Amino acid sequence: MKLGFRSKIYLGMFSLLLLLGFMTLFLVSRIMSESLLEENRNRGISIGVNLAALMVEPMLAMDFLRMKTFIDQTVQLSDDIFYTFVLNADKNPLVHTFKGGFPIDLKTVNSVSDRQKFSIRLLDTGDQLIYDYAVPIFIGNDRIGTIRLGLLRTKVRKAINRIVLSAFLSTGFVILIAGFLGAFFARTVTRRIKILHESTEQALRGNLDIHTAPLLDKNCWDIMKCDKQECPAYENLHHRCWYTAGTLCPTCVEGEYAKKITSCQKCLVYRKCAGDEIQSFAESFDTMTQSLKAHILEQQNAEKILKNQRELLQTILDVIPDFVSLQDSQFVYKSVNKAFCKIIGKSEDKIIGKTNFDLFTQKQAETYQQEDLEIFKMSKPLIKESKLVGPKETKWLHVVKIPVLEADGKVGGILCSGRDITELKQVQELLSQSQKMEAVGQLTAGIAHEINTPLGIILGYAQLLLEDATADGQVYQDLTMIEKQTKICRKIVSDLLRFSRHTESVIALLDINQLIEETIPVVEHTFKLDRITIIRYYGSDLPSVKGDKDKFKQVFINLLGNAHDAIGTAGTIHIKTDYDKKNNEVIIYVGDTGSGIAPGEIDRLFDPFYTTKPVGKGTGLGLSVTFGIIDDHGGRIKVESPPSITSNVFDKVQSTVFIIRFPAVHH
Amino acid sequence: MKKFLSAIILLMGLLPSVGCNQDERPVKVDLSKKEQVNLKESPDVITYAYLPQYSHTVSYQRHHLLVEFLRRETGLNIKQIFPDTFEHHIKMVGQDKIDISYSNPFIYVKIAHRYGAQAFARIVEVYNQESFRGQIICRADNHYIKTISDCLGKSWIAVDSTSAGGYLYALGYFVEHGIQKTDFSEISFAPGPGGKQEGVVLAVHAGKYDIGTIREGTLNVVADKIDTNEIQVIARTPLYPSWVYASRAGLDTEIVKKIKTAMLKLDYNKKECKHILEAANFIRMISSDDRDFDSVKKLAATVGISLDE
Repeated sequence: MKLGFRSKIYLGMFSLLLLLGFMTLFLVSRIMSESLLEENRNRGISIGVNLAALMVEPMLAMDFLRMKTFIDQTVQLSDDIFYTFVLNADKNPLVHTFKGGFPIDLKTVNSVSDRQKFSIRLLDTGDQLIYDYAVPIFIGNDRIGTIRLGLLRTKVRKAINRIVLSAFLSTGFVILIAGFLGAFFARTVTRRIKILHESTEQALRGNLDIHTAPLLDKNCWDIMKCDKQECPAYENLHHRCWYTAGTLCPTCVEGEYAKKITSCQKCLVYRKCAGDEIQSFAESFDTMTQSLKAHILEQQNAEKILKNQRELLQTILDVIPDFVSLQDSQFVYKSVNKAFCKIIGKSEDKIIGKTNFDLFTQKQAETYQQEDLEIFKMSKPLIKESKLVGPKETKWLHVVKIPVLEADGKVGGILCSGRDITELKQVQELLSQSQKMEAVGQLTAGIAHEINTPLGIILGYAQLLLEDATADGQVYQDLTMIEKQTKICRKIVSDLLRFSRHTESVIALLDINQLIEETIPVVEHTFKLDRITIIRYYGSDLPSVKGDKDKFKQVFINLLGNAHDAIGTAGTIHIKTDYDKKNNEVIIYVGDTGSGIAPGEIDRLFDPFYTTKPVGKGTGLGLSVTFGIIDDHGGRIKVESPPSITSNVFDKVQSTVFIIRFPAVHH
Repeated sequence: MKKFLSAIILLMGLLPSVGCNQDERPVKVDLSKKEQVNLKESPDVITYAYLPQYSHTVSYQRHHLLVEFLRRETGLNIKQIFPDTFEHHIKMVGQDKIDISYSNPFIYVKIAHRYGAQAFARIVEVYNQESFRGQIICRADNHYIKTISDCLGKSWIAVDSTSAGGYLYALGYFVEHGIQKTDFSEISFAPGPGGKQEGVVLAVHAGKYDIGTIREGTLNVVADKIDTNEIQVIARTPLYPSWVYASRAGLDTEIVKKIKTAMLKLDYNKKECKHILEAANFIRMISSDDRDFDSVKKLAATVGISLDE
């Protein structure tokens, strides 16, 4: 069983009191008993000596009457004097106080020599104990007899017992009183310690608004008759002014507790208000909790700021497309951003604390390790482009590794920053391809220009031969075929020339319906061969649009060609025009019943060189050029596949609808 | 904690033993076995008594060595006894209870006259005088008494009506100087028994009486009790024979002879005798007979004292 502090104090105090009481009782009783016995002994001796002196004359005179009178008077002095008798020099009794004869045993039971002043023996008569005193009777140096005196020990013992009982009761009473007083004072101590303990627990639970110290009867402003309300100690009931910094008392030394306490200890307020050690402890505890609270608040604010800054920094790190990582001197990753996690393909918590060997293949890790060691050794940054081959895709990364220098100039870590340049690399490749295509285009334009004349000659001659040929004959049919294919070739050459030639735009007001109607025949024939029908829905009273007629035609041809490619064979292409009064725009809908566009492809549909067609079938420039022309004319193009309800303006469900809007121009 | 509590309990256990004294071991006695006191003197005892001019203790101290010496020298069973008063002493001589009497000359003439006692030796005083005298004293600060005539009408305390140095010699001296007993305002005697010479000095010193009469030498005896300078000696009486040893009538003369012979042997110059004589306050003893005391008998007659009284 563990005893509480109060129980220990009570037990200790009670034990000490008990011990002290018993010791005192023992000593006092012992001393008093000894004193009483000594006094009794001295009394017996005194009586004996006096009697011996008195006995000299009657003994010399053999005056038995006087001797008897003396011893009888002596016995009557006190009821504890049991007997008295006188022995002569021959040790024969002269007179005695016994009735019915003299007890023989008493003659020799206690003797005193001439050299002794007295002799004491304790006699046991069977009924009671008797102190027998023997005192010699001298005349000068001559012994003439002996006085014997018997004092009842029972009387003495009773007196001693009374004293012991009184001492015991007194000690018990004192212990009781001391116990009550001790308990009272102990309670004041333990109560305050309990308050301190509860305050400590409160503080441990996080509650620092605790008041452990008692309120004072008079505070510093009362004692000093102060009315400085701006003083931090003024009306601060729970904290002492000597613990409070910045007090305005004229006798105060500026500063906090450590600086001012020596001065404060001489102050009247301190001398009047300072309590005992426990009160001082409680007061300093209150001050400490207040100070702790202030520090915690400061720390919380600092942590909040730090957290905000860290989050801000992390946000910046995470938002920037570049990946960033920080390794320590042991090449362990200490911090990474989201881009890094994305590159690695692992979450942050699975990267932090790991090394390259945990994250990359052995070969890659060894390469990176070598680079890192070199950076540590040379203390110079490393810039490189790295190809990262993954199971799904291959990525190109531009990486910068910078040594992080510590205060002593040594390299303490490596900051690695990099970005995904895969697209850039692709663009570079496409640019290279484009340059190649541009060269091919220029070559093609040259070739087309050169073959345009022979084609004109072939067509002219073919038409001349047709005039001479019979319409039903095989020659006529063949010539017709030559004429037709020559025209196709000339059309191709013409398209190539028009595509490759940079011509000046001729801006004019255009009737969209008319323009479409002029464009459709160019491709309609070819489409029919693939059983593709073009259905027109021209809106009436459309306003004009401003633009280059040829470029508009190219837009329509590109869109119709794209629809044709989407349908393949057997299908319908719908063209509808309309006017959006609200936005004052002319709208052209081009829909087809083709295979549609995959959702992931729609966003990239207008990117240059993006094509879903087989190699050699498309350049990926058609829709990109279309987008550029529309954009140049202030228009917009949008594709929906499948079309939304608002966009599906056709009776038949379309797979893909291109919606082009041009600003309307009113006359 | 347990040890602490055990110690407390042990102390509590010791409490009942408080006050006990283990050192005392009583001796068993049987008070029921009794006897009657029987003090029978042997029949051949020769009793020796010193006239109780002083207390019994002083008498004992002065004469017990002498008694022992006589016992030793004579082979007799001599025992000193202590009469309480002069009268008692005289009566005991008459009752044959005192065989050898050592008394002043005045008492001697009385016991000789009344009971036929016979002087056989007398002492020589410490100043080698075979006689002694009385002194008349008063307080030193008593300016009214300077001479013997100043004693007229004063209160007088004497040792005893049977005292020689303390009364008779002084009375004779007063009569010789024309002062009768009736001329004193008061004549008292010191209370007894014993110590009467000292009692006179102390009474005068206390101022109770104007004058006192004592045996010469008494002031030395009381020197340890009072300052003797505070006592003035007004006058000294003429010298009379010193103290005397007498045998009662009827005592065997051989015994008297033995004792006298032993007494005369005492020589102050002998080491073994010196302390005996010093204790007895005289330096030697000389042979004497009844004729040596005729002057005393004459003095008694002069002052009108009957030896039969």
